[in-house]
Amino acid sequence: MNNKLMQKFIEFAGKIGSQRHLVAIRDGFVAIMPLVIIGSLAILINNFPPFGKFNFVEWMSAIFGDGNWQQVGGSIWNGTFAVLGLLASFTISYNLAKSYNVDRLAASLISSASYIMLVPVTDDFGLNMNWLGTQGLFVGIIIALLTTELFRVFVNTPKLIIKMPEGVPSGVTKSFRALIPTMIILIIVGLFQASLAVLADTSIFEVIFTAIQKPIQGLSNSLPAALVVALLNHILWFFGLHGTNIIGSIIEPIYIPLVEENLSLFQSGISAYDVPNIVTKPFLDSFVFMGGSGTTIALLIAIFIVIRKQKNHPYREVAKVSTPGSLFNINEPVIFGLPIVLNPIMLIPFVLVPVTLTIITYVALYIGLVPRTVALLPWTTPPILSGYLVTGGSWRGIALQLFNLAVAIVIYIPFVLAGVKASKQRMEE
Amino acid sequence: MKIILVCSAGMSTSMLVDKMKKASEKKVIDAEINAVAESELQNHLDDVDVVLIGPQVRYLEKGIREKVEPLGIKCDIIDQLAYGMMKGDQVLDQAIKLAKYK
Repeated sequence: MNNKLMQKFIEFAGKIGSQRHLVAIRDGFVAIMPLVIIGSLAILINNFPPFGKFNFVEWMSAIFGDGNWQQVGGSIWNGTFAVLGLLASFTISYNLAKSYNVDRLAASLISSASYIMLVPVTDDFGLNMNWLGTQGLFVGIIIALLTTELFRVFVNTPKLIIKMPEGVPSGVTKSFRALIPTMIILIIVGLFQASLAVLADTSIFEVIFTAIQKPIQGLSNSLPAALVVALLNHILWFFGLHGTNIIGSIIEPIYIPLVEENLSLFQSGISAYDVPNIVTKPFLDSFVFMGGSGTTIALLIAIFIVIRKQKNHPYREVAKVSTPGSLFNINEPVIFGLPIVLNPIMLIPFVLVPVTLTIITYVALYIGLVPRTVALLPWTTPPILSGYLVTGGSWRGIALQLFNLAVAIVIYIPFVLAGVKASKQRMEE
Repeated sequence: MKIILVCSAGMSTSMLVDKMKKASEKKVIDAEINAVAESELQNHLDDVDVVLIGPQVRYLEKGIREKVEPLGIKCDIIDQLAYGMMKGDQVLDQAIKLAKYK
């Protein structure tokens, strides 16, 4: 492989992975993920499918009355996943301000205030919940980045800072520091909102959603897009770079809204087979990245199958060290220990397996053999459990995971054999 | 001695931390070792001697160095193979060597 080109690629990926705004977006999502997952689980419990003869939903309804008990989960949903856009706008701004080392709380409050200022108001003076959630996510991100950039510039402009006479407590000085910059930013946002409403009778949320967010999401919910994501992630990992981390800032804003749409329809009583979106974050996490990127849990099993006698073979040693982490989808040990990184023998299956599994999973969900994803779980949820839960509690989800695992093991075995042979030759030389 | 390991979520390095702790007990070295996510690093820099970076986030090296080196903290990327095999003793040695290099 061309070394110079490779170095360029690694540098480029590194730049993206450490680009300030993209990092702020990614860390913003990391911060709200617990809330989002809790909201998702609340919906799952509210709509849990019958378990053999035991029907949880009917049982609960018999005790507490139909619909009453589900209000708990419903309101959790309303305060978490349903206001994702607003939450993200706060956390992204917080992280960006943190990276600039300016007042984080002030910056994120400005971002939230600007967000609410721009949300269209309903006829009876309510906030339109649609725009607080994932539909407003892109605008939320833009608001967070722009207002925080403005804030950073303004607070570093001495003329805009109110000076306090000496002896005034520093807390007081600090509280006045953000005053003028905040005022200027909110006036700009207000003028922008008013001119859009008066001149074009629309809101920025409607404009961005229809012009940018919706087309991108439509494009992303397709097999080619899923393949690009899988391919890119694994090529980065092959170079020893944290793929999911580097492309996360681009993936999450797109694939989380797609699962949100599934979830809210599932909540309203639509079956998991009939929800619209196939490619979502849990699609990749649960059916493709089993045991971590590269479905390496299958590689470990392949190693245990191929190398049975030589208990202290280096491959076996790595597999042993890697097993506990892999059950929770953490696979750095096998990636760096085997290694997979820059290992030409392992490159092929490491990329081929996820691509194959993406195709299989897409087809299985597309033709309705397996329910689509209606839950968002922590990425550390072990396979099998995750397959059951993301499909809204369906055994078919587990069956698909087992099938995918079997396919992956079959693909990995010949390459493990080749690797063993190659290392044996090296030993003899 | 206080050592901090950094990776993207602090998950995989936390596995290594446990091994390093065991290695330090064996060698009777008084070391406090922790794993943190890169975004949290800034809040955990008090009295730290060495920051070790997981190889999968080595592209963050420059930014991390800029953050910690002015504070007199030594910083390096964890040896890839030692990391993969979770060799706590080797990584501990790497940290000790770095700290002594003052």
